[in-house]
Amino acid sequence: MYKLEKIDSFRWRIPRSYKSGMRVPGLMYASEPLIQEIINDKAPEQVANVAFLPGIVGYSLAMPDIHWGYGFAIGGVAATDPENGGVVSPGGVGYDINCGVRLMRSDLELGDVKPRLENLVNALFNSVPSGVGSGGDIKVSEKEEKEIFVKGAGWAVKKGYGVNEDLDHTEDHGSMEGADPDKISGRAYKRGNDQSGTLGSGNHFLEIQTVDALYDEKIARDMGLFEGQVTVMIHSGSRGLGYQICDDYVKGMARCLAKYGIDVPDRQLACAPVNSQEGREYLSAMRCAANYAWNNRQCLTHLTREVFEKIFNKSWAGLGLRLVYDVAHNIAKMERHAVNGIEKMLCVHRKGATRAFPGQPVIIPGDMGRYSYVLSGLDGAMKETFGSACHGAGRRLSRSGAIQKCKGRNIDRELFEKSGIIIRAKTRSTLAEEAPEAYKDASEVVDVVDGAGLSKKVARMRPLGVIKG
Amino acid sequence: MKPYEIIGHTADIGIRASGRTIKELFENAARGMFAVIFGENKDGHEAESRDPAAITSRKIEIKKEIFRYEDLLVFWLSELLYVFDQESIVFKDFRILELTNSGISAETSTSRIDLSRDVMRREIKAVTFSDLNIEESEHGFTCKVIFDV
Repeated sequence: MYKLEKIDSFRWRIPRSYKSGMRVPGLMYASEPLIQEIINDKAPEQVANVAFLPGIVGYSLAMPDIHWGYGFAIGGVAATDPENGGVVSPGGVGYDINCGVRLMRSDLELGDVKPRLENLVNALFNSVPSGVGSGGDIKVSEKEEKEIFVKGAGWAVKKGYGVNEDLDHTEDHGSMEGADPDKISGRAYKRGNDQSGTLGSGNHFLEIQTVDALYDEKIARDMGLFEGQVTVMIHSGSRGLGYQICDDYVKGMARCLAKYGIDVPDRQLACAPVNSQEGREYLSAMRCAANYAWNNRQCLTHLTREVFEKIFNKSWAGLGLRLVYDVAHNIAKMERHAVNGIEKMLCVHRKGATRAFPGQPVIIPGDMGRYSYVLSGLDGAMKETFGSACHGAGRRLSRSGAIQKCKGRNIDRELFEKSGIIIRAKTRSTLAEEAPEAYKDASEVVDVVDGAGLSKKVARMRPLGVIKG
Repeated sequence: MKPYEIIGHTADIGIRASGRTIKELFENAARGMFAVIFGENKDGHEAESRDPAAITSRKIEIKKEIFRYEDLLVFWLSELLYVFDQESIVFKDFRILELTNSGISAETSTSRIDLSRDVMRREIKAVTFSDLNIEESEHGFTCKVIFDV
C-alpha cells in the first residue's frame, strides 16, 4: 500500500521516505474516487521513480488522468534545473513527440450539420489518411523535410495549407526554436517523409463535435465558442519520425547513466544532463519532431477544411472554421518558472500533460462516447505545476482488458444507437480498445484540475462523428 | 512454458516470452511482438502475397557493442520493427545464428504483405526498456517486454 498523505480534497503527496533515492516528494492531483483507481494501477510507483531524476525541482507531479506508462507515468510533469545537474529524459517526453490536440471552431450549428453528418464523416474518413503506418499524399523531399523540422506549421502555411492566424493560435506559433535536423538519424528521416497530414492509429482521432455546455460565457466568447456550435478536434503527433528519434536517443542515453553516474530505478528513465552534449543533441532532435507534429496537425486542418468546403459548398473562412488553439501534450521545454521566489530556466517535461499558462486555452479530449473540454489556464498552474494541467481522460482499462470487456459487442453500432454518434475506423480492434468505458470520466478529471485552481472549465463538447485510425 | 504470451498494461501492451536458450528467448520474443501487431494466433500471413516467389530470406545484422542482454533484446526487436515498418513484410521465422556482446546475426524468411487488407490489430510505436528484465532459471530464460502502442 502506498504511504499517501492527503493534503486536501485534490492533492496527495508521496513522501520521499516512500522509496530511498527520491530527491523530491511526489504530488498527485486527484479526487477521492480517482485516487482509489490510481493506487490500483502502477502509476504512483512511476511518479516515485521520476523523483530520482537529478536536478528535479519541487515535486514529481501527476495529473488526475495519470495512468501506468513506461518510465514516466502518463500524466506526469517533471521540471529539472540545468544549473543544478538537471537532466532531460527522452522517456519523459515519450515516443510520440508532440502528440497533441487542436480545436477548430465554426459558425455552423448542430442543425446545419446533422442532416449532412454522415456525408461529412464519410468524406473526412476518405480524405484524411489514417490507420497503422498510414502514408499521405503530402510527400516531401529531404530538403523540404528539413524545412518542416525547422519551421514546423509555418511550412504548411507557406505551402498554402493554412494562414498566419492559425500559427497565432498554436503553442509556440507551431515551431520551437533550436531544432537541428543534423541531429536526426537517416532512419528517422525515412520514416518521416510521407507522413505529413496523416492521423495515425490507436488513440488518435478526428472528431466533429458540438458545444453542449458553457461554464464561463465570457471566456468562451473570447475563444469564439457558443452553445450549439459545431467544432472539430484533431489528436495526432509526429508519427514514425518521433518514434524513431525517441528510440534512437533512449538507446543512446541508456549508456549515459553510467557515464554521468546517474541512478534511476527504470532504464526507460535514461537521461543525460541538459547541459551535456547528449542532452543538447536530444533537445535539438526532439524539437524537429515537435515541429513536424505541429506541421502534421496543420496539414490535417487543411484536409479537414477542404472537406467542409466541399460538403457545405462554402469557403472555410466563410464557415468560420478557425483554429481555437493547438497544444502539445508530450514535450520537454525550456521555460522560466519561479522556484522559491527566484526565476529560473527549467527543463519542463510534460508526458501526457498540457501546458496551461494563464489565459491559454487548454484542450482536453475525452473518450469517443462522452465529451471533451476546453479549459483556460490559471495562475495556480504557474505556482504549482510549472504551468501544466491534465491532457485527457486517461485510461482505466488496459487495451486487452477493454477488448475482453467488449467481446461480442459492436461498439460503433452501440454508440450510434445510444447517442447518434457516427464512427468510422480503419482498424476494427481499435474500437474495442478505445471504447468509452476504457477511459476515466473526463468530467471527473477536469473537475480536479478546475477545483485545484490549475485551469478553469470553459466549455464542454460532445462527439457527433469520429474518425479513428 | 509458453513460447510467449501477451500481457496487459494500462496504457500499453507487453509480452512475456521464454526459451531454453537465450537465442530461443530472442526468437520467441520476436514472435510475441508480431502477435501483438497481428493478434494472438495470427502472424499476418493472412495478408501474404499468394505468389510463392515473394518469399525471400532476409538477414538481420546488428553490429554494436552491447553488454546487457536486456539492451540487446531491445535493439533486436526494434530492428525487426523498423524493417517491418519500412518494407511491409512479415517474418515467417527467425533463426539467430550468433548472439554476442558485439551484436546479433540472424536469418529470417519474409513475405510481402498487403497492408490495405486490414490485418494489423495495432501499431507498435516502439520497444521500451520499461520493467524489462531477463531471468534465468533451470528451465532456461524468460523476459517481459512492454511496447508503446
